[in-house]
Amino acid sequence: MSPLVLVVLLSSLGLGTAMTFASSHWLLAWMGLEINTLAILPLMAQQNHPRAMEATTKYFLIQATAAAMILFASTTNAWASGQWDITYPSHPVTATITMAALAMKIGLAPTHFWLPEVLQGVSLTTGLILSTWQKLAPFALILQVANYTPPYMLTALALCSTLVGGWGGLNQTQLRKILAYSSIAHLGWMILVAQMAPQLTLIALITYIVMTTAAFLTLNNMDATKTATLASSWTKSPTLTAMACLVLLSLGGLPPLTGFLPKWLILQEVTNQGFIPTATVMALSALLSLYFYLRLTYAMSLTLFPHTFNSVTPWRMTAKRPTLLLSTTIIMTTCLLPLTPSALTLLI
Amino acid sequence: MAMPRTGSLLSARLLGTFPKQLVWASASPWSVILRNHQSGYRRPGQPKDKRWLWQRINFDFSKGVDSVEKHLGLLKDEFLQRWVGPEGKPLVEHMLEQTRVMWEFRGPPSLNQWIVSSDQEIGGRSEIYLKLSRNNTTALLYGTLCSVPPRDGETRYSGYISMRSRQPRGLLDRKKPHDLSSFNTLHLRIRGDGRPWMINIGSEGYFSHQQDDMYSYFLYTRGGPYWQDVKIPFSKFFMSSRGRIQDIQHGLFLDKMNTIGFTLGDKADGPFQLEIDFIGVCNDPTHTEEFAYEIYKRNPEV
Repeated sequence: MSPLVLVVLLSSLGLGTAMTFASSHWLLAWMGLEINTLAILPLMAQQNHPRAMEATTKYFLIQATAAAMILFASTTNAWASGQWDITYPSHPVTATITMAALAMKIGLAPTHFWLPEVLQGVSLTTGLILSTWQKLAPFALILQVANYTPPYMLTALALCSTLVGGWGGLNQTQLRKILAYSSIAHLGWMILVAQMAPQLTLIALITYIVMTTAAFLTLNNMDATKTATLASSWTKSPTLTAMACLVLLSLGGLPPLTGFLPKWLILQEVTNQGFIPTATVMALSALLSLYFYLRLTYAMSLTLFPHTFNSVTPWRMTAKRPTLLLSTTIIMTTCLLPLTPSALTLLI
Repeated sequence: MAMPRTGSLLSARLLGTFPKQLVWASASPWSVILRNHQSGYRRPGQPKDKRWLWQRINFDFSKGVDSVEKHLGLLKDEFLQRWVGPEGKPLVEHMLEQTRVMWEFRGPPSLNQWIVSSDQEIGGRSEIYLKLSRNNTTALLYGTLCSVPPRDGETRYSGYISMRSRQPRGLLDRKKPHDLSSFNTLHLRIRGDGRPWMINIGSEGYFSHQQDDMYSYFLYTRGGPYWQDVKIPFSKFFMSSRGRIQDIQHGLFLDKMNTIGFTLGDKADGPFQLEIDFIGVCNDPTHTEEFAYEIYKRNPEV
């Protein structure tokens, strides 16, 4: 892609998210979401392969439907209350429709069916943008609308997402689909406490973005899209393979890695609020996700891929791809748990 | 099951010498509709189905019960398979798998996975048969190719036969494509007749204009009594749509393969024969080519 076109598209992505962050009018927020959608479409379709076209079309249809629902809900809210202000208390019905639309936008279950197929059809770099940057703007609206949404809706979305994310990921061998189901599960954790403690949603979102960036960049560096490819990654980059295992375990929420932080705080908050069965189901569903992360770790580090053929071991050349962001996010993914008190002080 | 024709009894007794059709036709206009209603395509030359409409419907529930049992079994498998591993196989097996036999012909049920067709559908005269050969160890595809076009005034070319695998179906008859992304080579063991066959792979598409897309490559058979091991990398397959090779080419995505088929249309009239032992896929780690042909690039970077 021409660098000028790439700059325009990436800056449009930034513009869309910034508009949604900065807006207090529903129409401006909706415009920011639409700019984001339209800016990512050429990035998804640049591969010019039918599978990329399919992913682009599915993404566009889903996002356009969700944006139309948001517009409908905000218009209805303006008709009912006379206000376009996002911070103004919304009518419960319009808040429900808005939340359902935002759930579809980010890929929460039961409106998650598009996410694995879309991520599978695009490149790893574009998948990274879809999984991280494209979640920011909808979450900015979710945090504002969550107060007026029926609490059981958020709990249902959360439980459904974590269970579907764990269950769906068990059957996958394609790494992008595994990360898609991982995304669904993490979004479930975030949405659970959106009403009780929005700061924890923010902490969970930030840690999720850091961990997912590390995961995607690692796979991009290895050119790995299947589990079987990971089995031979130790020959090419043993250090990165070792760190990748830690990134995956961090995504699974194991202490003492960073991924444990949001799960711990969310479970603590949910338990303090008295929702013991919900907390139990969430903790058990985290085990489902942990199973497929462990499976990838097993494939990468605990197996020695047998080879009886006479193939040449690949040369270990100097990395041409930039690794600054990769190394930074890996360190953040593995070492930030001791900074929990600082995070709590800053954000809560 | 015959229903009593109550409407015609009185008329038949009173006018016993008249032919039945005439009596019945005069008795009720609905009878004409119910008897003459033909649904579906009737191939030219086939006799008309003169049964009543209710006689053509199968009211037996056993097929439905079998279907419910089958789908409940598939549902149970789909739930329990996930505990075993991805796609129902342990992870170790998935990682170590270097070869996989997709189709082999070891008994009559294996032939049900294949559909044979020829130009008889358009009125041609080619014949094709599929059977198991001796000892039920291989499949034999044989017949006669005839490229004489049918005399219908519009068909100009004829003379093709084809054998294609059925679309695999999962729970509730959903399409369940094969995931062959761990492999990069197609491996066949065949014994041909020296003719140039064509292998066609059908991949899952999303848009309706992709439904005729097919990835093809040639299979040159040696003929003679010796078996032939053919290994064709998937990177060699080129894309065609409705028989026309496309200008914009791209590689075959192996994560959703629906069907594989063999076609013969070499305009050489006469008998043909292809014996197939197995069709499998394998991973050749020395084959690193991604796509063998030039990819059409629009707006090339200057």
